[in-house]
Amino acid sequence: MPLYRLESVTKRYRERVALGIPALVIGEGGIHSLSGPNGSGKSTLLGILAFLSPPTSGALYYDGKRVEWKERSLVALRREATLLHQAPYLFEGSVLANMTFGLKVRGVEGEQRRRRIAESLEMVGLGGFEHRRARALSGGETQRIALARALALSPRVLLLDEPLANVDRESAEVIRAVIAGLPARGTTVIMTTHDPDVPGRLNGEAIRLEEGRLSAAPDVGTAAGQAPGVPHRFELRLLQGPGECGS
Amino acid sequence: MGFLLESLKASIHLIVTWDPAFSHAVWTSLYVSAWSIVFASLLGIPAGLAVGLTEFSLKRPVITMLNSLMAVPTVLIGLLVYGFVSRQGPFGGLGLLFTPAAIIVGDALLAAPIVANLALSSVRGSNTAILPTAMTLGGSRFQSVLKLLSEIRFGMMAAVISGFGRVVSEVGVAMMLGGNIFGYTRTMTTAIALETSKGEFAFGIALGLILMAVALAVNIVFQFLQRR
Repeated sequence: MPLYRLESVTKRYRERVALGIPALVIGEGGIHSLSGPNGSGKSTLLGILAFLSPPTSGALYYDGKRVEWKERSLVALRREATLLHQAPYLFEGSVLANMTFGLKVRGVEGEQRRRRIAESLEMVGLGGFEHRRARALSGGETQRIALARALALSPRVLLLDEPLANVDRESAEVIRAVIAGLPARGTTVIMTTHDPDVPGRLNGEAIRLEEGRLSAAPDVGTAAGQAPGVPHRFELRLLQGPGECGS
Repeated sequence: MGFLLESLKASIHLIVTWDPAFSHAVWTSLYVSAWSIVFASLLGIPAGLAVGLTEFSLKRPVITMLNSLMAVPTVLIGLLVYGFVSRQGPFGGLGLLFTPAAIIVGDALLAAPIVANLALSSVRGSNTAILPTAMTLGGSRFQSVLKLLSEIRFGMMAAVISGFGRVVSEVGVAMMLGGNIFGYTRTMTTAIALETSKGEFAFGIALGLILMAVALAVNIVFQFLQRR
């Protein structure tokens, strides 16, 4: 069963159509890259997949069920899919306070909470950063702490918006390694990038958007018999298993 | 100049000796201002948040109205509440007129638009990523708004302090709804107005100094919290 299925999804901002996807299926597991130039609708699509922003029209299915854009059902869905923004926002206070929020709202307490926080910080190479002031961190550290904050929640889906942009070389390497290892932990990764080399380096599958519409990318595996470059009526199946991708 | 210096000296003597009439006016002012700012915050902060965080067709007129309400003269609010709480008014049976409770109602209505507007400005000026971040980390709408409130708490504190500054220094509402009753509804400002008109200039200056000290103390507390 696919993890996400989009049917005739559009997103408009006033008169402008930011996204128009006739059909798209995203399977569970693996690293799916979402590429395209600036303004192509990548972040808009991520917002929909993260259940943060409803489409203007069309239907989104998650785990076989149609998403009802009602607050009560959305909270449960959002706890499965975590979005990491390109310029992540760290809350005022310590790193620990930042890491605690998502775990606290899920009712994760005590030793389990401490362990998950410590493990996540270790994963991003920032073990022992718990009591650092979040706002005093460098850009690369901020991105890594935000990634650790998401990892501590053990999400089923991790949506990453340009995670390698604006970070130093060391942080980029750490982030890339962490992302590559996530499918093996049972987390499906969907990440945006406008760097055409990144999907190849991550050894994942690719979805390409142009002007809000699906477009065939050179490295896209199967496009339901369509020739590359055909932007409309396009179904892309990404059914990669967790073992097929990674580092 | 000698008159001013003599009055200042007498006012300091009044403060040091802490005259009962004097202390009652100070206490009444602080009491009604504290309660009215509590009610004004309970009205104003949710209103500011609601307007700031939701999109609706009448949003612009509502913001214009909130801005206009900030400038409503105190005597007009006094008059309006007087109409409701006077013996012939709809709430006349409650016997609120010329009680501290009536001043609290009037002052709360006076400060609520100020708190709401400044809360709204604080929300609009906040980082737009706060709410989506809290939500994607699993917070419900309510939990995420609480997180937002915690992130913009200094803006909210500034809103509450501005509201407090307005009510502690106003005369119109306290005079019209409290009636300036000695030992009961006489506040610092109504006492200043009365005593100065009687020629008790030193008494007025002493209360004025206390009023300034209160404003200063509130701001010092605010600065201290901001630094923590």
